[in-house]
Amino acid sequence: MPDARAVPFRGGGFRPRGNRWAALILFAAILVLVEWGLRGGWISPLTLPLPSAVLATFGELWRTGALVDHMVPSLSRLAVGAVLGAGLGIAVGVAIGLFGLVRAGLIPLVAAIFPIPKIALLPLFVIWFGIGEASKWALIAFGTFTPTVVATYGAVDNVDRGLIRMGQSFGLRWWSIVSKIVLPGAMPGILSGLRVSLAIAIILLVAAEMLGAEYGIGAYILTAGSLYDLERLFAGVTILSILGVLVSAVIGWLEKRVLRWRT
Amino acid sequence: MTITRRHALAAMGATGVALAAPALAQGTKLRVGALRFTSHSPSFVALERGYFADAGLDVELEFFQAAQPMAVAIASGDVDYAMTAMSGGLISLADKGAIKVIGGGLSEEAGIDGQKILASDAAYRDGVTTPAGLAGKRFGMTTAGSSFHYMGSKIAEAEGIEMSFVPLQKVGAVIGALRSDQIDGWSIVPHIAKPIAGTGEVHVIGDVSDYLPDYQVTTVFTSTANAGDRDRTQAFLDAFGRGVTDYNTTMIDRAGGDEGVDAMVDLIHRYVYTDRERERAAPSIIDGTMRINEGAALNVASLQDQLSWFQSEGLVDADIALDAIVDDSFVRTVG
Repeated sequence: MPDARAVPFRGGGFRPRGNRWAALILFAAILVLVEWGLRGGWISPLTLPLPSAVLATFGELWRTGALVDHMVPSLSRLAVGAVLGAGLGIAVGVAIGLFGLVRAGLIPLVAAIFPIPKIALLPLFVIWFGIGEASKWALIAFGTFTPTVVATYGAVDNVDRGLIRMGQSFGLRWWSIVSKIVLPGAMPGILSGLRVSLAIAIILLVAAEMLGAEYGIGAYILTAGSLYDLERLFAGVTILSILGVLVSAVIGWLEKRVLRWRT
Repeated sequence: MTITRRHALAAMGATGVALAAPALAQGTKLRVGALRFTSHSPSFVALERGYFADAGLDVELEFFQAAQPMAVAIASGDVDYAMTAMSGGLISLADKGAIKVIGGGLSEEAGIDGQKILASDAAYRDGVTTPAGLAGKRFGMTTAGSSFHYMGSKIAEAEGIEMSFVPLQKVGAVIGALRSDQIDGWSIVPHIAKPIAGTGEVHVIGDVSDYLPDYQVTTVFTSTANAGDRDRTQAFLDAFGRGVTDYNTTMIDRAGGDEGVDAMVDLIHRYVYTDRERERAAPSIIDGTMRINEGAALNVASLQDQLSWFQSEGLVDADIALDAIVDDSFVRTVG
């Protein structure tokens, strides 16, 4: 046999590793670029607000207490709507995953409701629930319900059948199998579905506050838009973004706690 | 001397010749923004009767659903000239140096049916039969900083009452809310007010002109760049002014008698209420008649009052001066 040729190590790579500063630096760079462009005059003041002015608007919101006035109603609408929608969605999704008749009846119905733009139904919701809080809760609940159902029954379907069979062969009762195998097994899928549906809830907040809301982040954004007040518009949008990041962080924390069995 | 139709037409012809723009290249392309409202009739008249063409302007109408997108389209240069209420959005865009108010449109005038103050049926039966009765009630508006917000605030101020304002985004949504008693009061142009008041679900309880006499409801505006092109802007305003004269003399002074009104309704019907037959459209078009400022004259005092109100409500920057928004060098000023 001839001499073995030295083979260089070709493994490694394809393993993106995080850098905690990358996002922050990119974000800051964009802001600096925009600020510089606007001050230098090569970005038209019609297209973007000064980042420093947006920051000043935040300061003003905070000092005048307007931030609390807008956040409290929005957060309560978000909480009530999302809890109703996601709670009902998880219940229906699990039922679809477990019972054949429910599955046969509800999957086409959910598929029919899913693509309806909930904003288009807003005038109808006003007739059903009035222009008070109920129509806003309903809109957010309706919007979060369908994606939660779809994610939940998908997650239940994907629970390892082998584990269920094992439970059966150990003589576990039906309820034990559901509560000890099916639900924990479906939890990763349900939680990642919640990430999507809660983001949709935040999107719908603006639509929900189109009708009859004097206070709320959505109402604040809409007012800023109609006044063509870019500083307030961006301040409002930034609040929604922060809200999105916070919700995502809460779900991340939940995943760590609820899914401890995975490690 | 009675003014016959022929006299009126001759007079219009004469003003037309006198105003015809002298030095503009034929066929200058212009896009004029409009809403399908009777208040935009001068543009329709000037286009249909060839006044724009006489001035060397090749005008194309662009239709919008609401005033706010029209202001943004002017700022972005997609539309050259348009007419709408001086909303908070328009002031902000003007403050950013994008647009200028160059003329006046619709005005409230004592003696001519103007915008109506409405109350829902439930509120009316509850005793809201005058605007003063709206104390503590819910007043509808499209958005904060809209003309409805301004009118409501001014009415409340004059009556010394407090109202809460409910933003509902669209005129249709406000009408729905008023009909289903979810709001108590609103104010709107007569051609919308009268048909819904006719159903008995809504009641007319007053006139906006009692609170805001000489209110400059709409303004003609353009981009700052266009305002710099003086010949073109002047040519547009002159042709538009001829449309205004035709509209006012026919619809308000009735110089052409019923025949003249009929012909004008036919013309307007090509653009407004196109989804209804003429018989059903005609009363609404006639109901919607309001005086449009002759020669697009500007009521500067009314605009100043509106600007001051926007500033006092904190809707726009407090240090915006009126002359940053308005270029009054093109038309006569009144007030």
